[in-house]
Amino acid sequence: MKRVAAVVAALAVAGLVVYVMAKGFGTDPHEVPFLMAGQKAPEFSITRLDTNETVTLSQFKGKPVVLNFWATWCGPCAMEHPNLEWAARTYADKVVFLGIVFEDTEANTRRFLAEKGWTFTQLFDPKSTIAVDYAVSGVPETYFINREGVIVGKYAAPISRDILAQRIGEIL
Amino acid sequence: MPVNATLGYGLILFGLACAAFAAVVGLVTGYQRRESALPWVQRAIYGFSGSMLLANLVMVKSLLEHDFSVKYVAQVGSRATPTIYTIVSLWSALEGSILFWGAIMGAYLFAFTFIYRREHGRYMQFSLGVMALVATFFAFLIAAPAQPWFTPGYFFSSPPQIPLDGPGPNALLQNHVLMIIHPPMLYLGYVGMTVPFGIAAGALLRGELGDAWLVPLRKWTLVPWLFLTIGIILGSWWAYAVLGWGGYWAWDPVENASFMPWLIATAFMHSTMVLERKKSLKLWTIALALGSFVLTIVGTFMTRSGVFNSVHSFTQSDIGPTFLKFIAALLLFCVVLLTVRGHLLVAETPLESVVSREGSILVNNLVFVALTFTVLLGTLFPLVTEALQNKKISVGEPYFNAMALPLAMVMVFLMGVGPMLPWGKADPKVLQQQFLIPSAVGLVTALVCFALGYRGFLPLTTFGLCAFVTVVTLRELLLPARQRMTETKEGFGTAFFISASRARRRFGGYVVHLGIVAIVVAVAASSSYKQHTSATLKQGEVLAVGDWKIRYDGATSGKLPHKEYVSANVTLISPTGEELVRHNLDAPRMNYYEMSNDPIGSPSVHEMVFKDVYVSLLHVDSKLGTASFNAWVFPLVGWIWYAIPFFVIGSLIALWPQRKAKVLTVPAPAAVVQS
Amino acid sequence: MISLILLALSLQYAPTRDIGPQLDAEREARVMVLGKQLRCAVCQGVAISDSPASMAQAQLAKVRELVAEDKTDAEILAYFVQRYGEWVLLEPTKTGLNVVLWAGPLALLGIGLVVILMQRKKPDAPSAKPPAPTEDPLLAQVRADLEK
Repeated sequence: MKRVAAVVAALAVAGLVVYVMAKGFGTDPHEVPFLMAGQKAPEFSITRLDTNETVTLSQFKGKPVVLNFWATWCGPCAMEHPNLEWAARTYADKVVFLGIVFEDTEANTRRFLAEKGWTFTQLFDPKSTIAVDYAVSGVPETYFINREGVIVGKYAAPISRDILAQRIGEIL
Repeated sequence: MPVNATLGYGLILFGLACAAFAAVVGLVTGYQRRESALPWVQRAIYGFSGSMLLANLVMVKSLLEHDFSVKYVAQVGSRATPTIYTIVSLWSALEGSILFWGAIMGAYLFAFTFIYRREHGRYMQFSLGVMALVATFFAFLIAAPAQPWFTPGYFFSSPPQIPLDGPGPNALLQNHVLMIIHPPMLYLGYVGMTVPFGIAAGALLRGELGDAWLVPLRKWTLVPWLFLTIGIILGSWWAYAVLGWGGYWAWDPVENASFMPWLIATAFMHSTMVLERKKSLKLWTIALALGSFVLTIVGTFMTRSGVFNSVHSFTQSDIGPTFLKFIAALLLFCVVLLTVRGHLLVAETPLESVVSREGSILVNNLVFVALTFTVLLGTLFPLVTEALQNKKISVGEPYFNAMALPLAMVMVFLMGVGPMLPWGKADPKVLQQQFLIPSAVGLVTALVCFALGYRGFLPLTTFGLCAFVTVVTLRELLLPARQRMTETKEGFGTAFFISASRARRRFGGYVVHLGIVAIVVAVAASSSYKQHTSATLKQGEVLAVGDWKIRYDGATSGKLPHKEYVSANVTLISPTGEELVRHNLDAPRMNYYEMSNDPIGSPSVHEMVFKDVYVSLLHVDSKLGTASFNAWVFPLVGWIWYAIPFFVIGSLIALWPQRKAKVLTVPAPAAVVQS
Repeated sequence: MISLILLALSLQYAPTRDIGPQLDAEREARVMVLGKQLRCAVCQGVAISDSPASMAQAQLAKVRELVAEDKTDAEILAYFVQRYGEWVLLEPTKTGLNVVLWAGPLALLGIGLVVILMQRKKPDAPSAKPPAPTEDPLLAQVRADLEK
């Protein structure tokens, strides 16, 4: 009897270990959970590099906001930029588009902006404080904020036009 | 047809065939008790070993020739990499490391088969059969899922373009010489556990375990145990010297993976003492031998499957599922074997008293198993919550430290108490007498440390315990010698040597214990009394850390064939005002490797006997002319790695073959003269 | 020359970061203790105090800022949990299923001790004879050697 119990226990433990490890295959161990969906978007206030005017999130209250975190050294960011430009033009009067450069130097950002000249507002977060407030866990990441100033969700990869259109639909 | 790839792949297929043949013949004829088949099993194993070693030579040759038609060379080779790192890149990515694994497996199986070639076939066929079964699995991995020779689809489409150059091995692995010796040591430890697994499984399959078979089981566990110990310590040294965060152990899944089999193998070596003397714990000891091997495979899975998040998982691929099936089969095999055959071994004698040598070893085993369980549970638990609750959690250093520290303290305590306790039952009076001096020394040590200004319950208790253990261990080492000296008037040297050679395993064990004491003291002191400062300095400015000062002398940059670097040159100023210049390649620096996205920092470590001064670079600002540093002073930290000789010497003493008792033997014929 | 190389490099790599001003020693020690408990968002299972990554340094700077505002440890941890969930805590909570994690090893120790104690000879079983004078077998062997 005691032996049966010991064998059953050993098999159960072994089975659980194998089951749990097998379940692990479907998941990405590098994925960082994001709990800010549904929370109020943290307020920020940044001076623009080009015009020296101060930009705050609250000044866009009542309008949906798309917030794109990127960096000049990041290859995938350069890949997704045309898509963001396209969306900024397409939704120009309905949605506010903001780019935030973080994990980067001011000199790089200035040079990059001077060369490429984005059509929507680009801000520079020198100490990545806004990125920390928004729980950014990589570059590029795109946040979708609704009219009430609540984060509806984020997209943590280079974004395509289709996904942009779909996610913007959720905050319109 | 590419010559190297074809030759290498052919050798692997031949090795696979040999291993499978040895496994089938060994197990079937073992079951039939047909011992005449043994030479065939041995020959097949020699075939496996030879082809694995040759296949590795072919790979090294391809790497050195920069033959980019070989898939693995195109993956990790680069013309810019220095030759030594080109050879090392054999184990810098998954396919190569599994291939290298095969070579080590071949070497171990060859050595075991050859040394015991005249052994009676009783257990041998089963044991070799089981080892060959494991070898078959690894040969299959090299032949199919982790095949390093041809790009996928090679045979079905037109030959792909051969690249002119490759990306080179992972940058972190090129950063330090320790990377040349640490992985082979670890692999020697991991792979070597196959041998005791085979021996133990052979005994179970045969349904008996005689004393004669216990000796190889013990010795062949001690060999991989020693390599595993060295591998783990060198790994922590590498992390300390290269990663620049001022630590050496982070309870990372890959570190845990190497620690678990070590713990179980250590428990095994203690429980064999009870088995030998008391003829009890047979089944338990065998289970531990099986467990150390299973844990090496689980550990390999953790490193290679991509399921675990780790700093060290340089090598990930799709061999995970294959590996997991192997683990499942292995677990089932072990449980079934222990259930069906276990009762044949059991001959338990009751415990007379817990306060006895065997009692202390039982508690020791319990603590080792509990610690292993903690490490396994903590490593797997994020997967558990994700599978059962769909919730991501982290189990990190704070958890492992909180759980492991008390257990480690108990282990240290037992290390002192165990050797003093007699087998059977202790006489309280004798015990009291024996305890007196070591306990007093322990107490005085703790008090002296306190008087010297060291505070903290945990470190002071640890120092006291370590002093206690040291006294007990030295007494056990020297007492037999003193007895000889008083009774025969031998000199100390002779007496010590003779008494030591009469009980090699015991002396070896105590030497290893001294090594453990050194590590425990080093860990306690360096983590409790480290001093840390971080600061941003302009050129010429100084930061103070402990009683040392660090002056920033400005940045320089340089270029080596495979990397560029920026050094933040510093001068370390000792408490006595002595200046140590650490410039260029000796300075804390950032390394930029070709084809790698992140800069990799290298700290500058000034190692001394009793403390290390450790400076790592966080940032160099060329415009402002400043640099940000993290600086530490770690007392005694080096003793973690300086303890390696204790383990080596202790294990060698224990392994040294005991001279056979003098029996009347006919001297070997004159042929000996020729050699 | 240096600046040229640095410039070239900065185009390819995430730049590292200045650590910024530090607090007084006592509060800085608190920052490091908290930093040890928080998992860096962009690293591989490393605490923010142990990573040289710029983002980890930014998170550590946030801890420093909250410490400077005299927030309690619980409030500071809550700031991060609110963003990343329990994932961010390197020391898991002791609630819910996590109890298994904390109590499991203790339970194993307890069961093991009971099993060991059960192995003892029954006290009422008549013991054959008082235990033979126990002597260290090695010393006995040494003596035996000498008597030869």
